Amino acid sequence: MIRLDNISLTFPGFAIENIDLTIREKDFFALIGPTGSGKSVLLEIIMGLIPFHSGRLLFNKKDMAQTPVEKRRLALVYQDFALFPHLSVAHNILYGIRYHGIKKNEGHRRLDDLANSLGLKRILDRKPHNLSGGEKQRVALARALILNPAVLLLDEPLSALDPEFHGEAKNLLKQIHQDMGMTIVMVSHNFGDVMYLANRGAVIHQGRICQTGDITSLFEKPDSLFTARFVGMKNIMPARILQGNVRVEGSDAVIATSAVPDIDQGYMGIRPEDIVLLSQGADNPGNSPNRFCGTITRVASQGMFVEVHIESGSLNFEAAWPRRYLRDFQIAPGRDATIAFSPQSVHVFQDYPVISGPA
Amino acid sequence: MGRLFIVFSLPVILLLTVPLIKMTTGPSLAMLWETLGDKDVLLAIARSLGLSLTAGLLAFALGTPLSYLLARKEFPGKKIIEGIVDLPVMIPHPVVGIAILSLAGRTHPFGRFLSSMGIEIMGTRTGIVTVLIFVGIPFYVNTVKAGFESVPARLEYASRTLGAGTFETFRRVTLPLTWRHMVLGIIMCTARAISEFGAVVIVAYHPMTAPVMIYERFTAYGLKYSQPVAVWLILLSLTLFILLRLMSKSAVQYHR
Repeated sequence: MIRLDNISLTFPGFAIENIDLTIREKDFFALIGPTGSGKSVLLEIIMGLIPFHSGRLLFNKKDMAQTPVEKRRLALVYQDFALFPHLSVAHNILYGIRYHGIKKNEGHRRLDDLANSLGLKRILDRKPHNLSGGEKQRVALARALILNPAVLLLDEPLSALDPEFHGEAKNLLKQIHQDMGMTIVMVSHNFGDVMYLANRGAVIHQGRICQTGDITSLFEKPDSLFTARFVGMKNIMPARILQGNVRVEGSDAVIATSAVPDIDQGYMGIRPEDIVLLSQGADNPGNSPNRFCGTITRVASQGMFVEVHIESGSLNFEAAWPRRYLRDFQIAPGRDATIAFSPQSVHVFQDYPVISGPA
Repeated sequence: MGRLFIVFSLPVILLLTVPLIKMTTGPSLAMLWETLGDKDVLLAIARSLGLSLTAGLLAFALGTPLSYLLARKEFPGKKIIEGIVDLPVMIPHPVVGIAILSLAGRTHPFGRFLSSMGIEIMGTRTGIVTVLIFVGIPFYVNTVKAGFESVPARLEYASRTLGAGTFETFRRVTLPLTWRHMVLGIIMCTARAISEFGAVVIVAYHPMTAPVMIYERFTAYGLKYSQPVAVWLILLSLTLFILLRLMSKSAVQYHR
């Protein structure tokens, strides 16, 4: 278990402040945030590459402040993979074995195993500059995995890959976590990747943690405006929330929500895929009290689905519907549409990031 | 545009080549061979080469840690240190000789201290090597610093995360990626040292290095007797610089 206890660090023009975080054994933990939020710095703090100014870093209750990088028995895979350009793929992978008490024979046996499982057999003699992005990533992973680290740290492992390798690499990481059962801490700015891979995570913004918890709860129950936007929440409107009723600023409409907290000056948000179309019996609304009639103002294709904007009085909604709705229900600008959404899909949150306690 | 650039480049190339071609083609082949038979000339050239190479190797030993610090670390006064390292390129070299003379001469306590330790600077090989390092070290430090800067710090971090300590990281990652720059730095420093005259002539007229001998023969016997020694020195320097260019080319290819 890794525990970050009230860790702070100040750079010129940037600070990491009061970070409290617990990463449990066998977690696939994601540090999520936009570029420049401080998530990679946090990863390097865990690795020991950057010393922090205050707080404690504990691995299995042992304080790691004085433990040098090379003694931490963690492995870090960089975004650009940082393969040694003067060494072959095989020598890159075998680089660390001598420092971990792994005998040469054992090292070569592990190299064979990894080369087979990661498909590196044909490229073992090549130098890194002759490899594709996907191959480089697999070599960097093999170089870390051969040491059987207690924790694998991944810094934006998917962002430097071409789209053709992206899906393949995601599956590989998932497989590694499932098969080897190791703790993985991954830095990412892509919530889609995080949803697919991680079970827990923390959203970081400007050097502070906004929210930590299960990935599903981050996705479904963002508790701040920043997290809500980051996890893809739409239909965000300033609102006052009182006893399960949302009053949107500048509108007479009352929207029912199942959210508990009363917030005097907050926001509501609805995922576009949670808005259903009632016209012509397209979707079944259940007994939702939230029903609105309006006019379609814009329709934009987003590949597998269409983004539809509906104006209802002073409210503007964005919905995401299957492509076939264009054909089946004549979705087009200027046409009328009746929409609905359940109280459970109306999320409420505050304006400022909420600093979470220990996860 | 290209032609205009060629027209303006020509005077520079001519300025560099014509006097040297004139001088190297001046002495007859017979005279050049005869000069090679002069034991004093051979000794002076060998001394220049040997002491310059010694200065280059000492620059390697003393300048590598400094180059690494300047490339990798940020610390107060770094710009001042960088300025100091570049200083020998700017100041007139007789001034270097005078500065060392004033410090290491018998009239200065430091000079007397060195003398009591058995280290003589004035009129010795030690003195010559000292001034050669002084004038050559900027070339070594700046070349090797650029080499260290060309190695991403992430590679060193990656090595540390794989279990290697700082020394092992330097030995297995930094050194293999920068040794060509170090060889380049040694050649640059050595080449600069071979040509040094102004500082050497003040600290040690004897034992005589090749540039001092060229000057002595010129003032004592005239152009005809100084030219052959100069030709051999030029050929030596040319060989070194061609080697330098080949090395730098392969270093660039290596990092690509």
